Amino acid sequence: MHMADALLAPAVAATMYVASGTVAGISIHKLKKDDEPQKLPVMAVTAALVFAGQMINYTIPGTGSSGHMCGGMLLSALLGPQAGFLSMIVILAIQCLFFADGGLMALGANVWNMAFYGCFVGYYLIWRPIMNSQWFGEGKSGARIRIVVASLIGCVVTLQLGAFSVVLETSLSGITELPFSSFVALMQPIHLAIGLVEGLITSAVLLFIYESRPELLQDVEPVKGEGSQRSLKTVVAILAIVALVVGGGLSLLASSNPDGLEWALFGNAEEGYAENMGLDEEAYGIESTAAETAGAIQEAISFLPDYAFANNDTAVGTTVSGIVGSAMVAGVAVLICLAGGFFRKKKSEV
Amino acid sequence: MQKAMHELAEMDELAMRSSPIHELHPLAKLITTIIYILITLSYDKYNLSGLVPMLLWPILLFTISGIEVRICFYKLRIVLPLVMAVGLFNPFFDRAIMLRIGPLAVSGGVFSMLTLMIKGLYCLMASFLLMATTPIDSLCAALRQLHVPKILVTLLLLTYRYVGVMTEELAVMTDAYLLRAPGQKGIHISAWGSFLGQLLLRSMDRAQELYAAMLLRGYNQQFHYAEARPFRIRDALYLLGCILFFLLLRTVKVAQLLGGMLVR
Amino acid sequence: MIEFQHVSFGYEKNRQVLRDLSFRIERGEAVGLVGPNGAGKSSVMKLLLGLLEGEGQILVDGLPVRRDTLPEIRRKLGFVLQSSDNQMFMPTVYEDMIFAPLNYKLSREEAEARVDEVLARLGLEELKHRYNHKISGGEKRMAAIATILAMKPEAILMDEPSSALDPYNRRVIINTICTLPQTKLIASHDLDMILDTCERVILLSEGHIIADGPAEKLLQDRALLEANRLELPLSLVGRTPRNAAE
Repeated sequence: MHMADALLAPAVAATMYVASGTVAGISIHKLKKDDEPQKLPVMAVTAALVFAGQMINYTIPGTGSSGHMCGGMLLSALLGPQAGFLSMIVILAIQCLFFADGGLMALGANVWNMAFYGCFVGYYLIWRPIMNSQWFGEGKSGARIRIVVASLIGCVVTLQLGAFSVVLETSLSGITELPFSSFVALMQPIHLAIGLVEGLITSAVLLFIYESRPELLQDVEPVKGEGSQRSLKTVVAILAIVALVVGGGLSLLASSNPDGLEWALFGNAEEGYAENMGLDEEAYGIESTAAETAGAIQEAISFLPDYAFANNDTAVGTTVSGIVGSAMVAGVAVLICLAGGFFRKKKSEV
Repeated sequence: MQKAMHELAEMDELAMRSSPIHELHPLAKLITTIIYILITLSYDKYNLSGLVPMLLWPILLFTISGIEVRICFYKLRIVLPLVMAVGLFNPFFDRAIMLRIGPLAVSGGVFSMLTLMIKGLYCLMASFLLMATTPIDSLCAALRQLHVPKILVTLLLLTYRYVGVMTEELAVMTDAYLLRAPGQKGIHISAWGSFLGQLLLRSMDRAQELYAAMLLRGYNQQFHYAEARPFRIRDALYLLGCILFFLLLRTVKVAQLLGGMLVR
Repeated sequence: MIEFQHVSFGYEKNRQVLRDLSFRIERGEAVGLVGPNGAGKSSVMKLLLGLLEGEGQILVDGLPVRRDTLPEIRRKLGFVLQSSDNQMFMPTVYEDMIFAPLNYKLSREEAEARVDEVLARLGLEELKHRYNHKISGGEKRMAAIATILAMKPEAILMDEPSSALDPYNRRVIINTICTLPQTKLIASHDLDMILDTCERVILLSEGHIIADGPAEKLLQDRALLEANRLELPLSLVGRTPRNAAE
């Protein structure tokens, strides 16, 4: 999910920086109005914890594999969306700076894909409405089920949005020749599975917090007394199965009918995104080549469509001298290295 | 987890070394890195020969700073998979022939795949070099000079400080868990919630104590960063020189010029 | 310097942690605060620092601990936390040390000079630019004390300063504490350390002061100590093996 710099065109990277920056600005403004100094240490410690927590392997029962968690939903349920968002920014920044997980220029996009959806969409559209509702009965057991439902739906939905944004950003950057629809059909089901596991982990952690210190959770009122007894395990199992069936069906639909999906998505993309982004023609050009090859993987592999490029001949001509020149540059590079080694040896002798 | 700790420690160690690059003003380094990445990204997807000379800058930096390239390549394992996944499809979809070397035909897709990977490598090297020559506190000072909001910078500083503490604690907990759960590769579902939850609760207390420690030392919502280093002529020259160098590489087709001299 | 007058405190209404506590510590005194777990030692410290609010009156240098006097009070008192990791929240030792002086409006030069002076006094010059997460437990504890000394407090409070240290580092800490001229209040289970660093001991149990007197006399009172889940300091057991004594 962490995008590298290479996957983005400068215009897209800058746009995502502006978008994430704006949200960060609003969050900071809101936090300042509340009592920010109190929250700062809590945010830092929780962020550090989530960072470390992402490295834990959770074994998934019944399979040999293991899952991880991402943390957007967890942080906003604990700290509120604004503080959660800022904490996520910091986590992503540290991952990018020290572990090369996600690029420096792609940070804006990564913040958007992982932090914005997880914190704001996840909180305002999913966590808060569900937690404030009276669904699944009253009392403790009702709240428990609400927590599980909200985390599961929240993680799945926000991850789907994030994965879709990755596809959108990469395609708009003109990096990949992979048709938009196939890319989507590839990314969404993978992230459906990831989202489910992450949702389960998140809900497990939140449930634990709920049992021990419910006052730490946002929008959860400590309830006294048990409500109607319903086994949590069965609820989780039913939910997981429902999510799998629905999600699996959707991704099947997506891959079997890519043109329709693409039409629907690209209609939006061109109206909404392209306008805002002020993308240059280059990116548009790619979009249409991607559209041309849409949903035609086999075709592309079995034929050799000889697309003519405007200055095809000159391109061939210049590349030959380009190769020779590149070799010379490489020579210079080697020289620099040798010189460096030489100087350093001298230094160490002195 | 131990690996992550090790990696973090390694970066700290690199940043604490001394070299002409380490001594430059963090702001100058930050800006050149950003410009370098932007210029690298701005190359057209078929412009392989234009990209090649951009290698000179990171190589120069590696040489002058004395940072080992090996450490940087180790980090490639994280960057490459997604880039590869995206780029590997290009040769299948874009089959227009762009270059023939004897019997060998190279398609546009291969070109765009290669440029993509090279871009990934360059950007990684650039940000790695920045972090390997700049300690986190200097970087935060530079961010403040760029008017990044104070809360964010302070949060970054504090989080960075506690990443080590938390990772260590979790590593201890994981060890304790696995020692009592032979044959398991990770945390079993029955402990999913309590494992992180326990630590989370403890962390909340820790945060409270931390806040007390801040208050007791006169914290008044003002954080002081590493000494604001003066921006010297040397830093300005470096910044200017790098930008000119990048622009030169971007506008003049260095590789083709050099090659042209030989071929003709 | 420090005075508690009929101080009571409880987290919950019916369970009092401290009950009607009164004592007085003169300027320059070194006082050990001992007692079993849950006796209320850390509550005493937190009340004194205004981190908790209780009933009764607490005076520091004649000044009552109240919300409006807190900045002044906290400036006079330095608190060394048990967990150095929690105390040192900046990336490097230097930045942690300079944090308080800068907050108290010293210029950077003055603050830096003060940091250097403290480091030199404790012999820690080489720690200055090290990362907090890269130094050993002993160094960390010393650095934590240094951050507090850089504030130039008039009194120093310490919570378990010798815990989790190897014998060598423990000795270093004890020697350091002994050289500090300030008023000291040290809470600990390490009675040997208390014996070495304090001339007076306050024994706390279940929120009451059980005993208050000269360290050497009090810490020799085996019956009193064992009644309060404590043990005679090893250095006072002398050469008599434990078995022979019983």
